[in-house]
Amino acid sequence: MHASELAQYVVTGLLVGGVYALMSIGLALIFGVMRVVNFAQGDFMMLGMYLTYFYAMSFHVDPLLGALLTLPPFFLLGLLVHRVFLARVTGGGDPNREMDAQLILTLGLSLVITNATTMILSPMPRGINAPYASRAFAAGPLLLNQARSYAFLMALALAAAMYALLTRTDLGRALRAAADDPEAAGYQGIDVRVMHGTAFGLGIALVAAAGGLLATYHPIEPNVAVNFIVLMFVAVVLGGLGSIPGAFVGGLVIGLVQSLTLLLLPLQLQNVGVFVTFLLVLYVRPQGLFGRRARAV
Amino acid sequence: MRPLTPPVAFFLACLLVSPLALWPAPAPAVDDVKIALVAPLSGRWARQGQLKKMGAEMAIEEINSQGGIKALGGAKIVLREADAGDSVEKAVSAAQRVLTREKISAGIGSWLSSFTLGVTEVAERLQVPWLTLSYADNITERGFKYTFQTSPVSSVQAEQALDLVAEIGKKNNKPIKKAALVGDNTAATVFFFKPLREKLLAAKGIELVADEVWTPPLADATSIVQKLRATQPDIVFYGATNFPDSIQVLQKIKEFGVKTAIQGVGAWLVTPEYVKTIGKETLDSIQTVVAAHPMKGQEELVKKFKQRTGEPFMTQDPLCTYAHVWLIKEAAEQAKSADPKAIRDALAKIDLTSGPAASSLYPNRIKFDERGRRVAASPIIVQWQDGEPYTVVPTAVATRPIALHK
Amino acid sequence: MREGARGWLGIAGVLAIGLVLTFALTERYHHRILTLVFLWAAMGLAWNIISGYAGQISFGHQAFFGIGAYTTVLLAAKLKLTPWLGMFAGAGVAMLAAVLIGTPTFRLAGIYFGLATLAYPLIFRIVMDYLGFQEVAIPMVRDHPILFMQFEDPRAFDLLALALLAATLVLSRLIEGSRLGYSLRAIKENEQAALAMGVDAFRCKMAAYALSAAPAALAGAIYAHAILFVVTPEAVFGVLVIVQTLVVCLVGGVGTLWGPVIGAAIMIPVSEILDSTVGDRLPGIQGVVYGAALMAIMMFAPEGLFWRLRRRRPVSTPSAAAAEAAPADLESTSAAAPARPGSVLLDVRGVSKAFLGLQALSEISFDVRQGEVLGIIGPNGAGKTTLFNVLNGFLLAEDGEVRWEGEAITGLPPHAVCRRGVGRTFQVVRFFPHLTVHENVIVGAFAHGGTPAAAAALARAALARVGLGARGDVLPPGLTTLELRLMELARCLATRPRLVLLDEPLAGLSKDGVEIMSAMIRRVRADGVTVVIIEHTVQALVKIADRLVVLDHGRRLAEGAPGDVTRDPAVIEAYLGKRWLARHAATHAADLRP
Repeated sequence: MHASELAQYVVTGLLVGGVYALMSIGLALIFGVMRVVNFAQGDFMMLGMYLTYFYAMSFHVDPLLGALLTLPPFFLLGLLVHRVFLARVTGGGDPNREMDAQLILTLGLSLVITNATTMILSPMPRGINAPYASRAFAAGPLLLNQARSYAFLMALALAAAMYALLTRTDLGRALRAAADDPEAAGYQGIDVRVMHGTAFGLGIALVAAAGGLLATYHPIEPNVAVNFIVLMFVAVVLGGLGSIPGAFVGGLVIGLVQSLTLLLLPLQLQNVGVFVTFLLVLYVRPQGLFGRRARAV
Repeated sequence: MRPLTPPVAFFLACLLVSPLALWPAPAPAVDDVKIALVAPLSGRWARQGQLKKMGAEMAIEEINSQGGIKALGGAKIVLREADAGDSVEKAVSAAQRVLTREKISAGIGSWLSSFTLGVTEVAERLQVPWLTLSYADNITERGFKYTFQTSPVSSVQAEQALDLVAEIGKKNNKPIKKAALVGDNTAATVFFFKPLREKLLAAKGIELVADEVWTPPLADATSIVQKLRATQPDIVFYGATNFPDSIQVLQKIKEFGVKTAIQGVGAWLVTPEYVKTIGKETLDSIQTVVAAHPMKGQEELVKKFKQRTGEPFMTQDPLCTYAHVWLIKEAAEQAKSADPKAIRDALAKIDLTSGPAASSLYPNRIKFDERGRRVAASPIIVQWQDGEPYTVVPTAVATRPIALHK
Repeated sequence: MREGARGWLGIAGVLAIGLVLTFALTERYHHRILTLVFLWAAMGLAWNIISGYAGQISFGHQAFFGIGAYTTVLLAAKLKLTPWLGMFAGAGVAMLAAVLIGTPTFRLAGIYFGLATLAYPLIFRIVMDYLGFQEVAIPMVRDHPILFMQFEDPRAFDLLALALLAATLVLSRLIEGSRLGYSLRAIKENEQAALAMGVDAFRCKMAAYALSAAPAALAGAIYAHAILFVVTPEAVFGVLVIVQTLVVCLVGGVGTLWGPVIGAAIMIPVSEILDSTVGDRLPGIQGVVYGAALMAIMMFAPEGLFWRLRRRRPVSTPSAAAAEAAPADLESTSAAAPARPGSVLLDVRGVSKAFLGLQALSEISFDVRQGEVLGIIGPNGAGKTTLFNVLNGFLLAEDGEVRWEGEAITGLPPHAVCRRGVGRTFQVVRFFPHLTVHENVIVGAFAHGGTPAAAAALARAALARVGLGARGDVLPPGLTTLELRLMELARCLATRPRLVLLDEPLAGLSKDGVEIMSAMIRRVRADGVTVVIIEHTVQALVKIADRLVVLDHGRRLAEGAPGDVTRDPAVIEAYLGKRWLARHAATHAADLRP
């Protein structure tokens, strides 16, 4: 196998993984701060795709910009959803019982969103026929799909911005404190409920933006979540639950594994490679690639 | 105070809930003839189910406005649709529900071959005749008496489609030497590719240079299209039934500048959303083999459909369902009864060569063999031209001549 | 026992109602709904065994469901094997799969376990598609259909599913009342404490997992024949299966027999009714309403309907007076027998333990003799609890050896150490919050096996011994600190130890509490149990300990009789600092005791 062929596999995998990575950061943030497994994450992504489509069709806004423009409205939506629904069943203190309740709550939310969208917007798939979706940059013998390349760069930028927010701002510190030890954070004057709402808002905003980026080359339909939700979860767990850089790396790893698996397995078994890798990583390093090992006796 | 013990709670729950299950459907006129349509109306495949429903509704309106079923004193046809959702469980439940609630004379559905398999099991047990446009061979290999498959089966389609494209290639001095199989592993595609892979291509001296089959959803089409670029097939048999997967592959083919003829297998390749999503230039001269498509002489029908539904063009799903409803009407006329068993017997004997049903299904003859397969059923090749799919082969029923691939 | 009989009565009740409904319903579609209710209730119960009782939430139980379905159908299609036998073959394969999956996966904790289990059915789905089993239609058998589980009469499927439900209910009930049941709940509530009480957590989880796989596989087999007619990877390995299971269990209530039953009885008819009334006419609305219903239920009853409804029942609390009276009778056993220096029970030699560069223990050596009360003291951070964790088996020492009754026990897991006769209590009481006081102690009583009745009796005796006999039915959150410590002690004693490691048993107690606890410790020693106590405050310890060992910064600083040790300048310096020592050494004999 030619080195350039191998390089193409790697590059393809990374580009695919970039958008997975952005999708997963939102989930990781929500899980990290709130310990919520958000079943509806993929559906918010789908809504982000629709909003981006709307911007593109009504205002001729390029979807790459449109993706950024989904951030504010979805942040607010996240705050609202948290305040009205999630706050009732989380943040109470008994993580065992809470986990159960929010699983079903977010599942119900997912059903509502998907079905309501089907009914209101019709199930017909839509697409933003972005010209750069079928063009590639040539880097020597390598071909990099333009849409995916732009999406990758934007994903990287957004992830970096998120990381900076978490590590360099007071808000970020407060979020991390609330994630680490809600009780202690409370004593420090941090309103944990507000932190949860903020985390949820940010998480939803990020995945909506990911959807916008995805919309540059992926058709938009109400059930699009089903193709990505599993990969999102795998990326987050692989990276280490609650770790933002971990989720990002996790997404990249999944993209890479999907691509490189083709060197070993037939195309049909492509995702088997992902799941086997997932299991192997968990067995060797149960806390994920970047997770902190919690072992209290 | 004895609290609500679990068994009592269970009982009460059932009690509270059961009256709702007996909620009656609106009562139609006593002598209406009811046709069931079990198709995905919500969930992942809702679009396909809705297209079917459009075709059925158009036929019903035509029939009723033309006087209904004459042999039954002008009885009207009523559609009973049941949502198959997006799981086999829901589809079979829908069939059970709709077939046991009222007296259904015949049924149509369910688009996805696994749904059709499950639904026809119910129909067979409840002895209600069932019409389907599904292509899979196994649907009529179970020894069932009540299942009628109007489409040519996949293995037959594979053979005939290959003959047709080889013909075209020879006639235009571009004989096919190398072929590729690119598609997913859903049943319909599998049934089509298998005979090609195992004997048909070899029999014509065509080399299989690429065999790329994936499990949906497809992550990225790069490796597939790279293979195509490397092997340069003359024709690609294309079976990407999942819309996002299909879009990815077509975009990638354009991106890599691969020049090859694309021969789809199935009607999923000719839906209007393709135009909006990748544009008509990319689609130009892509063909696909389908069970039915509006043919020469059906212009009025197509116009009516477009007006009624706002759809830019009419495709296999609404057309077949339209034909199915008319076929049931004919069977009821011949049986002079709305009884499902009688209709079944009529269908088993029927031999139509004219009328809306027969004119929609090439070669314009509806007669079923003992397995329930339509005798001499032949596929149609449809080609995208200027952002719309046209019947191009067989030339006798073509609405436009075939455009040569550049 | 009252609770026990009610459980069996309840199961009979559910069965009776099931039978009544089977024969009362007339429409085929209604029978289908009934069959679905029974099947999903059974699947929910199966899931509940591992995820409810043991607390190991599994997102991959559909793996077993699918294995059951495919094994049965493929055996019938390829080998013409009747599904009546095939389904048990499927159950067997599923149990084997459970062992294979569980062995590596139980090393993961909490939600990591759950998410890892998700990978398996996903892999199976892809592999089944790859192998060409995208659609395996169950061939319709026209002669002897019953032999192939094909019934004309829909009631037959109801009865079949009901039989599975009954079997799974019985299985769950048996587990609940057994040693395994207690062990699982202890693991769920506080795995560390369970280990210290002699529960072999790994073995128990594996047992529960295998036991939960069998009914899941049977449910899959019946589902394929009664509901699907055609088996696709998506239909039996897909995410909708686990979603349905989760809905049924979490809406109904986790960790109880009745949860899945209630959940299935409510949610499945609701779903079908929505489909048949509004779903056909306005497709999609049924999803919206169902989703909204799930959200509403979870906001109203986050712990599940069963627990929510149960909460409304007034919980009987025994009068507080009884609790006060109990400790009174301890005074009678005041004077402990004088310490008889007996044989060496526990021999600690040169134990060292480091954590990432911090040397927590440095070559600790001492021994513990039969019948004595040995106190371990030292300032905060001296390594006392770390020492206990090493002795107990929670931590592995890098160097050194621990011998118990002559046998080397270094490196043995905590439950093995417990079963050899070493008991343990914790610095912060580790109780099982959702188990009553009596049940908490029963977990310990099972350490050496035995029947549930024997364990219950042993637990009651232990509770009586510490004076909590009247508080058996109370839940731990309703106890005072003293009562909690006494309960933990009783639980520890129920494991029939010959030596107990008590970690700061006097912490957080009032002066009276300290007296009562001290008396209890003397009583324990009088009963022939050797005691090793960690305490931070020297004052209380000198009254009960025969000898003291002093640790400081991981090293053994001093050892000897309490009087000597408390006057040892090195010890005083460790506690109070050089300057205090310098100031007081001159004036009078410095002593740690006031």
